[in-house]
Amino acid sequence: MLDLNHDMATTMENEQTPGAGDEDICLEVRGLNLYYDDTQALENISLPIPRKQVTAFIGPSGCGKSTLLRCFNRMNDLVDSARIEGSILLDGEDIYAPGVQVAQLRQRVGMVFQKPNPFPKSIYENVAYGLRLQGVKSRRVLDEVVEKALRGAALWDEVKDRLHENALGMSGGQQQRLVIARAIAVEPEVLLLDEPASALDPISTLKIEELIDELKERYTIVIVTHNMQQAARVSDQTAFMYMGKLIERGPTDTIFTNPREKMTEDYITGRYG
Amino acid sequence: MSEAPPSSPYKSSVHLRLRLFKDRITRWLVGAGGVSVIVAILLIFIYLLYIVMPLAESPGMQREAAYHLPSAEQAVYLSMEEQAEIGTVIDRQGRVRFMSTVDGREISQVQLPVPEGAEVVGFSAARPNSGIVALGFSNGQALVIKLYYRASYPDDKRVITPEVQYPLGEQPVVVNAEGASLDRLAIQEDESFTIVGWTRGGLLSVMRASPEESLMEDEGGWTFERTQGYSDLGDIVSLLVDPSQRNMYLLGRDGTLAWFDISDLEQTHLRQQLAVTSKDTEVRDARFLAGGNSILVASANGEISQWFQVRDEQGVSRLRKIRRFSNDADISVLTPEYARKGFLAGGSDGGVAIYHATAGKRLLRERVTDAPLRLLAVSPRADALWALDEQGQLQFWRIHNPHPEVSWSSLWGKVWYEGYDEPAYIWQSSAANNDFEPKFSLTPLAFGTLKAAFYAMLFAIPLSILGAIFTAYFMAPRMRQLVKPTIEIMEALPTVILGFLAGLWLAPLLESHLPGLFAMLMLMPLLVVLAAWVWHLLPRHFTRRIPAGWEAALLVPVLLGAGYLSLAVSPLLEQWFFGGDMPGWLQHEMGIGFDQRNSLVVGMAMGFAVIPTIFSIAEDAIFSVPRHLTSGSLALGATSWQTLVRVVLLTASPGIFSGIMMGVGRAVGETMIVLMATGNTPVMDMSIFQGMRTLSANIAVEMPESEVASTHYRVLFLAALVLFLFTFLFNTGAELIRQRLRNKYSSL
Repeated sequence: MLDLNHDMATTMENEQTPGAGDEDICLEVRGLNLYYDDTQALENISLPIPRKQVTAFIGPSGCGKSTLLRCFNRMNDLVDSARIEGSILLDGEDIYAPGVQVAQLRQRVGMVFQKPNPFPKSIYENVAYGLRLQGVKSRRVLDEVVEKALRGAALWDEVKDRLHENALGMSGGQQQRLVIARAIAVEPEVLLLDEPASALDPISTLKIEELIDELKERYTIVIVTHNMQQAARVSDQTAFMYMGKLIERGPTDTIFTNPREKMTEDYITGRYG
Repeated sequence: MSEAPPSSPYKSSVHLRLRLFKDRITRWLVGAGGVSVIVAILLIFIYLLYIVMPLAESPGMQREAAYHLPSAEQAVYLSMEEQAEIGTVIDRQGRVRFMSTVDGREISQVQLPVPEGAEVVGFSAARPNSGIVALGFSNGQALVIKLYYRASYPDDKRVITPEVQYPLGEQPVVVNAEGASLDRLAIQEDESFTIVGWTRGGLLSVMRASPEESLMEDEGGWTFERTQGYSDLGDIVSLLVDPSQRNMYLLGRDGTLAWFDISDLEQTHLRQQLAVTSKDTEVRDARFLAGGNSILVASANGEISQWFQVRDEQGVSRLRKIRRFSNDADISVLTPEYARKGFLAGGSDGGVAIYHATAGKRLLRERVTDAPLRLLAVSPRADALWALDEQGQLQFWRIHNPHPEVSWSSLWGKVWYEGYDEPAYIWQSSAANNDFEPKFSLTPLAFGTLKAAFYAMLFAIPLSILGAIFTAYFMAPRMRQLVKPTIEIMEALPTVILGFLAGLWLAPLLESHLPGLFAMLMLMPLLVVLAAWVWHLLPRHFTRRIPAGWEAALLVPVLLGAGYLSLAVSPLLEQWFFGGDMPGWLQHEMGIGFDQRNSLVVGMAMGFAVIPTIFSIAEDAIFSVPRHLTSGSLALGATSWQTLVRVVLLTASPGIFSGIMMGVGRAVGETMIVLMATGNTPVMDMSIFQGMRTLSANIAVEMPESEVASTHYRVLFLAALVLFLFTFLFNTGAELIRQRLRNKYSSL
């Protein structure tokens, strides 16, 4: 196992393909191990996440891709039995270092979950939620940010006339885009998307994918997906995980057309998973 | 299904039919259950309404008989016995005629001994149920008789035999020794007799006959006291002596009322003289209301005013006009009911009106005859009327008027009761004497109910809601598994035990440790903050040993310690600050009355009973807020506290709200605790140191002693109905608000 990782590290260094290697690294995982009580869920993961690109985690169910994603904004802290070794650097600073304020970290690393989870409030208040948490009260500022975030999430035209209606009256796809708007309203650096389209119909899925394409202009995006085609469509980088280990990562084109590992190829071609 | 191959349609169709049948049966059973609950509640409601409705029934009267009374112009007095079968007519010849009321047939006649050469000029009756009447003669003497109706049951049939008794002997007694004519007369009887006579010209003669002290009863003679005086009132319409024989009232025809103190015949004096009618309005008649406390004055303009003694600012009793009643015609005669505060007025147009003083209204007016009415008699049970008009026509009417004292204003408004200094809300349904004025104000009871619920909620809401938040949101799961069922099992505690403990243990404890309670209120939060600070300072390797979420368990000894400490220093505090007696200090220094069984005790005991209800529902609501909402909030950079306040509580608000309303509903209807832990005094005082009487406790206390179908009984049912409506309104309102909240905030 160690060998494999070592190999990967060396290959990465040697690789000179564009979209990886020497470009701007936003998040960097270094030797990350995660345990739930005695079971190890993540084993010695190391990988860089390039800035303003879409990185997709793929792999069969239970491979640890969601767990890894949740490490980036320390959502695993909520699980009492979870224990973490190693480090994750956000702009070169360890987010697991003592003294890091988790709430502030999460403002920088936003997250969208698999199931749309708007709060039982109005559309407006949902989007303004993150700013209100930070104590922003000015109506003018809030109005501005809400409009900007909704436009950013390609939702403005659909909801501008019913901003003060309950968000729970929206369709699933709209709810998910609202949640994305809510996340980008606080101007995070990184946006973590945990299977954001798996609960949606194909048309909504398409809209989300188009949105992701637009959002990467401004944000570093990490997406977990079950859907290989989706990963192929939206991501620039792809990492394949299996059984808590990172098997292979690289530019999406390479991973899908010419994977180095046999396991990756088997998974992509649908031989298991 | 899986073992049945699809190729076997018969088997599967039986199964399908059975399944359909089960589905239908279940639907029917559930529907029937729901409907029967609604029907049961409706039946209770209808039954309560059925008992209460007669209170709202308007009274009625109908003619039973009418006949001519021979030599009617001589009659001075009419009365009836208990069953209203026999009526009595007394006339100026000194004749007492007993007649059957239904047909006017004469049953017997007694000729009273009128002194030689004298004639009957004055007449008076004592308290109506005493049967005592007096005739005043032109020679200064008076004859006292008692109308007595002997009931016997030969052959199991009731036979009433009327007779005349002479309590002061068959010889007339001398009221005015100089032989002045007793043109107006007043008599009152208790053990002693007081007779007052007024002679045209203004001479007043007072005579009091007291029984002589004697070892042998029935053999004693009488000692007589007499005094005389003058009154400058012109013609007197009415002369009244109250049943205590201390006060005498003279009513001049011009509307002047003079009140004399005659408790001591050696020192009779004028207490007050005032005008009781508007200027130039003549007085037609004046009578006591039952009990002899209120004077009713009927004036020529058809107005009846009620007067009684009220203490003024200096503590001096003064006659005051309490309320007025109107009539459509000039009033010729007034007659009070025997036991109730009702009265009848006969008009010069032949109309009879029935009033009730406490209810403050006219209940009924009926045209009885065309001629002016001269004399009225109401039966002791107030269910029959005997009326004599100027043309000698006697009429016998049945009256149906079982609940005159109940009106909207007497139930809910301030009423000026006899003997009170001002109008007040009072519940006092019974007293030792018969002619007492029942006070059926539901306001203090409704107030007490809400007050008890308020203090219970003041205690229960913070504890149960905060407890629910902590248990559902912060507590370690294992600890929660322990805490939640423990609190819920408190609900099973019989309230009679809680009430018992509250009344017999908590109330005395609080009274003796009152400063300790207040010390506890300050000390507990202080010590908790202090404990948290100390915890913060402790080395990490030590604090880490306590599993996450169990830190709160460490507070248990802190809280117990704070409680013990507070109670322990209580006597010292009481000594230092309150002179050793805080309840007394409150009373004297602050003017706050202290009742041992007060709202504080009730609030704590009932709060304790209500906590499990609120806690359980609120905890469930908070706990079932979906994880993905809290995660969503946390992922946006919210702290735990922000997530709790902005998302969790908001989403759980319908549940928390219904928990609180269930608690309020329970507190409003709770009986045993308030019954045992309050003094059950129906006071209208919001003070936490005063008790209260709730609707429910009132029903429990008074139901056993109320006579079935009496006004009291029906008013108690009305209290039950009000209570029912209270809980109904609370629950309906709560459900409506909860639905709204749920539509607004439910997450799915």
